[in-house]
Amino acid sequence: MASVELEQQIAALHPASFAWALACTRWNTPEAEEVLQSVYLSILEGRARFDGRSSFKTWLFAVVRNMAARARRRRWLEERWKSFGRATIGGVVDPVLVEERGARVRSALGMLPVRQREVLDLVFFHEMTVEQAAQVMDVSTGTARTHYHRGKLRLLELLGTEDPP
Amino acid sequence: MTPGDDEARLRAALAEAHREDATPSFEATWAAARRSTPRRSTWRWAVVGTGLAVAAAGVWLVTRPTPPPAAPILGTRWVGPTDFLLETPDLMTLRTLPPLDPAADPWTARPPAPRGNP
Repeated sequence: MASVELEQQIAALHPASFAWALACTRWNTPEAEEVLQSVYLSILEGRARFDGRSSFKTWLFAVVRNMAARARRRRWLEERWKSFGRATIGGVVDPVLVEERGARVRSALGMLPVRQREVLDLVFFHEMTVEQAAQVMDVSTGTARTHYHRGKLRLLELLGTEDPP
Repeated sequence: MTPGDDEARLRAALAEAHREDATPSFEATWAAARRSTPRRSTWRWAVVGTGLAVAAAGVWLVTRPTPPPAAPILGTRWVGPTDFLLETPDLMTLRTLPPLDPAADPWTARPPAPRGNP
């Protein structure tokens, strides 16, 4: 793929990629920006190459997910090192913001296991099918379907009986 | 509540969660990634250069000519106080092969000439 065409495709998907990076980093904005920058860098350096086996969006989202997982592991190690001998550090979601509705949903999402959160974000926000979500998450369709159903039930339970938005 | 209602509710909830996403401009993110490319390649060259230097040093250490062993200085041979204990009797016999008379050896001696029958 020509570099100009590649850049155009990435630019077109940039808002969706950033939203996905946010979901992968539990709405940690600086980390999501860093993840996306690392993704673009790996594409520029040729370490991540689109081979046409899936749609461009699916491939790009898979790269974002892998990069976010790497950043998460690194952050976890750093936090372990910093909090050595101290109490564990809490979640990323800012408790001050939990008052607002969007933050409440993000907080509920943050309580789900990673895979459930990912599949729900991909299906309900990024309008992917469960099969495409499975490709992004690098799991079988059956596994993704299981996470999808469990995640749906759990999120509905967490959101409770409040008025639908 | 039908499954369709549930899905609509989840879709709305996810949209709400993403409503305040402050997406940075693509140009800024792309440019930042581009800027960090040469830094990465410089770093990579530094690693490669260090590796080559270490390899060269290793090759030099292995192949360098070794100096000849120093000759012992005359008159400086150290003799231990208990060395005489090693001087066993018949040391010369143990250190050298005793000269054997081939004629006396039954294996190498020539067999006696057969006596002729009348």
